[in-house]
Amino acid sequence: MEAEIKKNQTSVFSTISSLIKANFIRTFGIIVVLLLIWRILYVAGQTNYTPQYWISQLTNGLVLGGVYALIALGYTLVYGILFMINFAHGEVMMMGGFAGYFVLQAMTSLGWTNGTTGQSILSIVFMMLAGMLVSVLTAVLLERLAYRPLRSAPRLVPLISAIGASFFLQYSALRIFGATPHPYKKPTVISGILKFGDSGVAITYTGIFIFVTSIILMLALRLIVNRTKMGRAMRSVAEDKEIARLMGVDVDRVIVFTFVLGAALAGAGGVMFGLHNTIMRFNSGFIPGLKAFTAAVLGGIGNVTGAMFGALLLGLLEAFGPSALGMPTEYKDVIAFSVLVLVLIFRPTGLIGEVLSEKKA
Amino acid sequence: MKFRKFALLAILVVAVLALSACGGGTETTGNTGNNGNTGDTDVPVVEGPTFDGMSLADAEAAGYVIVAPGEPVRIGASAALTGPIPEFGLDISQSYQLAVSDLNAAGGLMGHDYELDIQDGACDGDAATVVANGFAADPTILAVAGGTCTGETLGLQPILAEARIPHVSASATNPAVTSEDCDICNRVALSDKLQADVDAEYIFNTLGLTQAAVMHDNTDYGLGVATLFQAAFELLGGEVLSFDGVQVGDTDYRPVLTQVATNSPELIFFGGYYQEAALIVSQMQETGLEDSVFFSDDGVYGDAFVNTAGDMSEGVYASFVAGDEVAEANAEFDAKYVEMWGTTPDEQGPFHAQAYDSVQMIAAALASVAMEDDNGEGYLMFDREAVIAAVRATANLPGLAGVMTCNAIGDCGAGGIQIFQVQGGTFVQISGFGLD
Repeated sequence: MEAEIKKNQTSVFSTISSLIKANFIRTFGIIVVLLLIWRILYVAGQTNYTPQYWISQLTNGLVLGGVYALIALGYTLVYGILFMINFAHGEVMMMGGFAGYFVLQAMTSLGWTNGTTGQSILSIVFMMLAGMLVSVLTAVLLERLAYRPLRSAPRLVPLISAIGASFFLQYSALRIFGATPHPYKKPTVISGILKFGDSGVAITYTGIFIFVTSIILMLALRLIVNRTKMGRAMRSVAEDKEIARLMGVDVDRVIVFTFVLGAALAGAGGVMFGLHNTIMRFNSGFIPGLKAFTAAVLGGIGNVTGAMFGALLLGLLEAFGPSALGMPTEYKDVIAFSVLVLVLIFRPTGLIGEVLSEKKA
Repeated sequence: MKFRKFALLAILVVAVLALSACGGGTETTGNTGNNGNTGDTDVPVVEGPTFDGMSLADAEAAGYVIVAPGEPVRIGASAALTGPIPEFGLDISQSYQLAVSDLNAAGGLMGHDYELDIQDGACDGDAATVVANGFAADPTILAVAGGTCTGETLGLQPILAEARIPHVSASATNPAVTSEDCDICNRVALSDKLQADVDAEYIFNTLGLTQAAVMHDNTDYGLGVATLFQAAFELLGGEVLSFDGVQVGDTDYRPVLTQVATNSPELIFFGGYYQEAALIVSQMQETGLEDSVFFSDDGVYGDAFVNTAGDMSEGVYASFVAGDEVAEANAEFDAKYVEMWGTTPDEQGPFHAQAYDSVQMIAAALASVAMEDDNGEGYLMFDREAVIAAVRATANLPGLAGVMTCNAIGDCGAGGIQIFQVQGGTFVQISGFGLD
């Protein structure tokens, strides 16, 4: 803390006004944090939630965070490479969710979802593949039609284009699939609830499935980015597009590959989202997309590990926040976004964003 | 330059004043005309049609709506075609169109067809203001059917009130929709006050449950129902353990349900629409609330809820308007609906009867005050104030949901609130008419 203050002081030494400003915001942040801690302790003394309650909320939060994470990774990947926020990413997830839904319907009519364990697992695999495929197609088209022509334009232009693409996809889905929510019927392998004895703690199999799958997919993504040739090319494009091009990296191909990776994760996320929450709808991608974007910023946008941590933290905040602060549950988003602001006061680059920004500087 | 602008402005002001004074003047002549004093005395000959001796230009200047021969009588409609409950909105708009096609098949209004101008109110107050401004700017709109949602309707009202356009909502149920202060506000839906009272009474006395957790979706409608229910339930002696809101569009309600479950409520009462209800019902199974009863409102009643919630919907209660003695008319309506739209109305949403009735009510009011021109050239004239009064004066008008009669504040709904339960994959009426 002291070192940080010192560093802060030296960095803003030049002008007194900025010193006051910076310290004011810091002081304000510290006061808010202290107030929060006091409030949490006070509420903890007042309420008597059982340990089981907190464990249940922990699982709720982790599963919620797992879904956010899969979408947040797409935001963060694209941002890391293009410095562009792909606001249509939530809709890319929704398209994958719909593809999964139609495969699910087909599998159900074949009797596979309720058939043997093998058939049931296979149908989930097919759903995931279909979801990923459709999401990837959507994202590649999006990149080709809505983003690539604008690549040399000022940064605001592709952002607006992305918002437009988001609405375009949303309302196309409304036209094509109708407004009615499409109910996902869980295949037998992952339907049901895992109960831990009589403790009252219960977690759905879909929840476990989401959490485990999202961790596996994230690890796979890390491997691709850090260990493969394509990953190296991606990192070089993120560092400097022009130099990467001079070094013989096919920048267009790398960018498309980035969209493909992000969309594949989102497609899997869409199917899991459908399985867990049992419905898919034309606007199902919108709010999770916004939340995932928040998660990416919270963790440090542009950073893969950061997006993961940010998403899990956001999920946990939404689950724990209201009861820990003794507030109505409607305030879960207020709490989550306040924490986002607090985090950005102390770490403007997000929780794990610093490494990357230093490298870029 | 400055002076010239000022002069121009002054001229404009004078012109406006002169015109409005002129308007006032013709209005008085119009009124005397209405009394029939000048109808057949020697009035200066005017070109074109006359209405009790008033010329077309005078009538238009006085704010009367003139429908020329061959032109349709236009009714606006605000339906929630997008937003949280687009199925309900679609069902309602299709019923509006069916009502208009029936009216036109029956000859329209004195040789004029009715025409609908359906706009998307999106179940949202902000979207509704845009819709209402569109209607207000369109001099041919005589009345408005809608809106679908409470919030949407509250957004329509101030603008329509200023434009003197009466509206009849098929499904806006919050008590605030009608009041003594609003002469253009009418509905055939029943007030949520009634619904909350009936629900609380049924839960407390018939089901014998006293410990309830109340949830709502933070919409004007859902929060309204939930608040009214809480008051009614506590008045009866029931206990409300918690009162929580959820966010429309969110899909994971497990955290809030986990919290609700800590009080082990016997029953969850939810004020809101079916999609959130379906999610809550299926997530209750996963959060230790599988033994609690789920009870909701007329935003949940309907096949859409059962389809979305699937097996989890079994045993869920919801209240809805139900009338008696109208089975035959409804069967006929259903058949026409299937022919016109290819689906049964129940697949879409629950408010089709009310929607059909609201257009019929508007048409009846328009027919009662439409004035033909003196020479029978096929012109129609409407006095906006007369239309407003005529809608409110609706009495003993038979409709699909029962016989409609408007009270002093514009509640015209027929039938009563009844309790339904999902049994074997469909809502079955378990209280009220023919069952006691």
